[in-house]
Amino acid sequence: MRLDDYRVVFAAVGLIGLLLIATPTLSAFLQLPSGEKFSELWVLGPGRMAEGYPFNVEAGQNYTVYVGVGNHMASSVYYVLYVKFRNQTEPLPNSTDGTPSPLPPLYEYRAIIPDGEVWEASLTFSFPHVSRFENECLVEALAINDVTFAVDKPAMWDVNGTGYYYQLFLELWIYSLESESFQFHNRFVGIWLNMTG
Amino acid sequence: MSRSCKLFFAFLSIVLMIGVCACRMRFAVAQTGQPESKLEAANKAVEQAFRAVFDAEQAGANVTGLLARLNVAADLLAQAEIAVRNGDSSVGAKADSVLSIAGEVEAATVAAKETVVVTSRNALWITFAFSVEGAIIFALALFLVWLRYKKSYIKDLFDAKPEVNG
Repeated sequence: MRLDDYRVVFAAVGLIGLLLIATPTLSAFLQLPSGEKFSELWVLGPGRMAEGYPFNVEAGQNYTVYVGVGNHMASSVYYVLYVKFRNQTEPLPNSTDGTPSPLPPLYEYRAIIPDGEVWEASLTFSFPHVSRFENECLVEALAINDVTFAVDKPAMWDVNGTGYYYQLFLELWIYSLESESFQFHNRFVGIWLNMTG
Repeated sequence: MSRSCKLFFAFLSIVLMIGVCACRMRFAVAQTGQPESKLEAANKAVEQAFRAVFDAEQAGANVTGLLARLNVAADLLAQAEIAVRNGDSSVGAKADSVLSIAGEVEAATVAAKETVVVTSRNALWITFAFSVEGAIIFALALFLVWLRYKKSYIKDLFDAKPEVNG
């Protein structure tokens, strides 16, 4: 090996060493790209498992499910979870457009969740007033966590599914620091309910 | 009392009665609008507190305790929102609690952020100083090694005895 070759080796070692020594300072200024940012939203059954969801429901009975939100947005996030109730003819949120359901929210949860953590709460609901007329069912009131809401929601007898179908669903909204308002986060989950009694 | 005096007092009484009625009406309007305005103020307070906590978190502060406190305010705010949506206008106490907690959190967050900004700035300067010093020492040491190596290489070259083949 010639002297010039050794010079190159020394220069390379010097450069690598300088970079290693400067790493702590450089890391304070360089922002490495973070992973994908997203939020999770789920509903679990009464046993906090993805099973045993209430489906055939009766007036006057209490039913409990668990709702949860997971934050993977790389910072703390302020979430609002709106609980809505619909019959088969009313619209759900539109995932393609990212627009929420136009139905008014009944109940709501608010939580500020740190990055990488999850939040969970119970949702107990019942139907205090339900009426039936021939092939029509009318849910007059819905109680969520001991708060009763007048809903007056009719449903026709579904011949294919043989039941009066309703859906209790939750929409996830997120507080935007840029727009200083809550925006629909394009996440929603729901459970189907068949009003049997 | 003269007739003009009687008329004047009658007119004054009517004006006063109208005034009182108007005041009551305005008071009633203010009462009706109160829950919504209180709720709006509470919403703004939680949002401002959240922004402060977010900024502090980005600056590197430990905001776990502050977030737990702010979550209490957010939960109360949700209850107040539900109550108003359900036609219950007695949300003043809840809104006041929200305002109070959010204010406390915001004040604590500002203090925490200031502390962490000073600490992180000092830490950055110390890191920068150590990096510069380390780089200079490393470069100098490497240069000295290089000089020593170069010297020994040239010496070896001169010491080498040339052999003539043939």
